[in-house]
Amino acid sequence: MKKLCIIVILGTLVYAFSRCNKAAELPDSAYDDRMSGGNFTTLDASTQAYKQPIDGLNARQTVVHNIGDGTFDQVFVAAPAPHFGGLGPIFNNIACINCHRNDGGGFPSTGTSNSGMLMRISIDGADEYGGPLAAPGFGVQVQDQCLLGTTPEATVSISYTDVPVTYPDGTTVTLRQPTYALRNPYTALPASYMLSPRVAPRLVGMGLLENIPESTILSFVDAGDANGDGITGKANYVYDGYTKKTELGRFGVKANTPTLLMQVATAYQQDMGVTSYAQPDESAYDQLQMNLISSETPGNELVDSLLNYVTFYVQTLAVPARRAVTDSICKHGATLFTQINCSGCHRTTMYTGVNPAINLSSQRIHPYTDMLVHDMGDELADGRPDYLATGREWRTTPLWGIGLLSTTNGGTAYYLHDGRARTMEEAILWHGGEASKSQQQFMQLNKADRNAILAFLSSL
Amino acid sequence: MNRIFLSFAAVCCIVLSACHKSNNSGSSESFTQVETDVINDFVNKTAVPKYASLAAAGVTLDSTIQSLVANPNAATLQVAQANWRAMRVIWESSEGFLIGPVEANDYDPNSDTWPTDYHQMDSLLLPTTPNALTVEDIEALPQTLRGYHPIEYLIFGVGGTRTAGDLDARKKQYLSSLATDLKNIVTSLDSTWTSAAVPYAQACLKAGSGSTVYTTKQAFFLDITQDNGMAGICNEVGEPDEDGKMYNPYIHQDSSLTESPYSGNSLADFKNNIIGAQQVYLGVNGGKGMKDLVAAKNTSLDNQIQTAFTTAINSFDNISGTDDMRFEEAIFYRRTQIAATLKALNDLQSLLDNNLVSFIKTYVKD
Repeated sequence: MKKLCIIVILGTLVYAFSRCNKAAELPDSAYDDRMSGGNFTTLDASTQAYKQPIDGLNARQTVVHNIGDGTFDQVFVAAPAPHFGGLGPIFNNIACINCHRNDGGGFPSTGTSNSGMLMRISIDGADEYGGPLAAPGFGVQVQDQCLLGTTPEATVSISYTDVPVTYPDGTTVTLRQPTYALRNPYTALPASYMLSPRVAPRLVGMGLLENIPESTILSFVDAGDANGDGITGKANYVYDGYTKKTELGRFGVKANTPTLLMQVATAYQQDMGVTSYAQPDESAYDQLQMNLISSETPGNELVDSLLNYVTFYVQTLAVPARRAVTDSICKHGATLFTQINCSGCHRTTMYTGVNPAINLSSQRIHPYTDMLVHDMGDELADGRPDYLATGREWRTTPLWGIGLLSTTNGGTAYYLHDGRARTMEEAILWHGGEASKSQQQFMQLNKADRNAILAFLSSL
Repeated sequence: MNRIFLSFAAVCCIVLSACHKSNNSGSSESFTQVETDVINDFVNKTAVPKYASLAAAGVTLDSTIQSLVANPNAATLQVAQANWRAMRVIWESSEGFLIGPVEANDYDPNSDTWPTDYHQMDSLLLPTTPNALTVEDIEALPQTLRGYHPIEYLIFGVGGTRTAGDLDARKKQYLSSLATDLKNIVTSLDSTWTSAAVPYAQACLKAGSGSTVYTTKQAFFLDITQDNGMAGICNEVGEPDEDGKMYNPYIHQDSSLTESPYSGNSLADFKNNIIGAQQVYLGVNGGKGMKDLVAAKNTSLDNQIQTAFTTAINSFDNISGTDDMRFEEAIFYRRTQIAATLKALNDLQSLLDNNLVSFIKTYVKD
């Protein structure tokens, strides 16, 4: 009888627990729509919205985050210097914050401390790891600034041509088609080379994106377009020069970087000429005018702890909360966003995996990306492959926080990989390739519905 | 019966008199009016005059530096140094509210980036360096070679030892163009508030009533309080970690980590930063400040904040002492006093970041 009682009690408990809802099984209505980053959402919607730390950092982590913040803002100078030396000899900017304005996006200009765009370069073929093949004398990135006594690799000329687009209802929007050219190269450019412009992206929620399980991202791939929506998607696999492994690419507009550590280290190396343990070679290594730099003496201009702190800082930036979630127009826009299948790539909801170190685990997040690369059509194509991403493919941009870009940038915002779009509407109209159907359906909407989608995006 | 009635009436009186007046009863309109007054006075009596003064100081400094360059002697050097310090008073106090164009348009990093790039500055000053050092050339230089601090280096020298005789042709050319570049920067900054196509003053004045920058008044008040405002500058000066302007040189006992090492002006810079924040809180030129908003609802908090400002600002004098010690030396000899200032700044920042922000979110609803 006693045994029976125990069995009944245990059985009851098992049944009761089995009835408990797992988080993933709760209905959407059980969640607060504002919490784009789960527990790591900030309600700050000010000019500083992108600079807010996640909640729950302990005292030590707060110190690390703050030092990382300070280093992110720190200008670097030429060596020898008592502090923060190591800039250059060639570079694109002198501080992270100069491109990532308020930790947000950059401006599409080049060659000054206020610029936020750079130009990748390579020649036809692939390197031994399948990555872009460096252009002789230029590497994989054009550094358009330099220390005194050296010469920039080249300067970048940017021009725009107006491209009017007319909706069926007669409304016209004027897009601007960019043209890029390299001027004043310090040495002869290769006979044939490929360029890819990149505007600095906003940094919100990067740690959460790093913690999305690879299996989740791969589950979004629809290689054969089984559902017939025209969207396939592809995971980019890239070489990590630090771990010496090929890994899933997550960061960068072509998902060509696997981790935030490498993203940060490569930015210091390529954008500022500051070497570190993860990227010990100068960007100018092996270049004609840089013959004083030897590959035998790997640099460590950014001390190890500061590289780790800046990485931690980027990992622990919160995601701005959605605004106006109860606004009827925004709600209508959200519905239309799904109906015209923007959400086919800009995936709405997913969960992070386990990360006990930073506590970013098991969050229900709304990044509006699938982290895959997609064919975005001829108009956006750069023609420059990057590992598995072809010259027409770009990673789906996470849209969370996008509605505050103008606020954080002092009233000005630029969209897409090269900042050609001055409004979100322009950005939508540039979508092609796998996004063609959605773009065409957007154009078929009446103005009120188009505005509803834009209002929804502005609420992110 | 009568006694019962009287008792009942008395109880009613007590109950009614004990009832909180609605925060807005009769004062709803007046609190809203205070909000509007604080915004108007911040714009018209604090920010706009501050930037106008800064622009005027830029003209004066440029003028005196051109005089120094034309006629370098001890007297012209001294005038240039004095005007550099005078301009720093205005600039550093303007950092009490780093909102709007000063950051969005890069006026701050273009003029006040530090440390200077010593190595490149020396290279730039070599007569063989192919750079004419015109104003246009200066504009194209990295921010570490523009603005207040390269000027400071040229007119004060390392350890403040500069003499007029040190100024060779190359230094004079660099100095002349730097001063004009700085004047251009602050003149442009001034215009963004008043005469730009969309003056920033209007963005503030229309907070909550058509401003695309500040869709609510609350957003405006939070901006002048949080990271871009009063709390932000307290944090920048007093942050107790290696990112802090005071803490970093203090904890490492390294004078090369200070903001204005050539002139020994760092302590004045810090103090003026906090005075600038205090001006936002109190209001200046007879105008209302944040204090009026706070005092309307919570005099205790207002008193706390005012006291914290006074304590923090006065504490800088304990560091400089009666012998007017520079911060670059005080990090070795006045460590207790520096620690006290850091604590005072932390206390102040905490009040602003927590209590004042909470106050704004609670009471400013439009």
